[in-house]
Amino acid sequence: MANTEKLVFMVMHGPEFPEHATIPFVMAAAALASDVDVVMGFQGPGVELVHAGVAETVNAPEFPPLAKLLADVLELGGKLLVCGPCVKNRAIPPEELVPGTEIVAAGRFIAEITSATNSLVY
Amino acid sequence: MTATATELEALTAAKIIDARGAACPGPLLEAKKGMGTVPVGSLIEIWSTDPGTKSDIGAWSGKVGHEFLGTLASDGYDRVFVIRRK
Repeated sequence: MANTEKLVFMVMHGPEFPEHATIPFVMAAAALASDVDVVMGFQGPGVELVHAGVAETVNAPEFPPLAKLLADVLELGGKLLVCGPCVKNRAIPPEELVPGTEIVAAGRFIAEITSATNSLVY
Repeated sequence: MTATATELEALTAAKIIDARGAACPGPLLEAKKGMGTVPVGSLIEIWSTDPGTKSDIGAWSGKVGHEFLGTLASDGYDRVFVIRRK
């Protein structure tokens, strides 16, 4: 049976803020484990977290490594959406994004947010 | 808590999930995975050194429809008991 709840996590902080970058993944993984659908949206510096190899460099004290959490979110079925202009602005080639990441524009983010049970911004 | 410490001590879990040393949300994710490996009606026991796990697993069980029986303090870790109900 499909889940009836959905949370959107907007991730605005990049690897220079390990705790800010990690907590939305913690929450997303917990939501997925609780049978809640999850969409993670990456904008601004947050897009760097889904640049392949970057998550492996982020380790916030007292939290699991970001690479582990990212793998958990993907394994549990979380969707990763990334802001197209933000990726382009940072010259990140689309083929270097974490597999499963989808490049989207504002309209898609709005559609996900307005159809969600709730949205959280980190 | 729906079971007394004596009752919990007497239980034998179908599966023990050793999540000691895992930080949040590790024990929860391990519990989720472990539930998928036992039949409905089975008891699982999660071992955790994360102090948040006791309340985390209790809340999670209520949210997803499993039966949280309670916790026991052991030697440096908590034993958390849940029955798979769906």
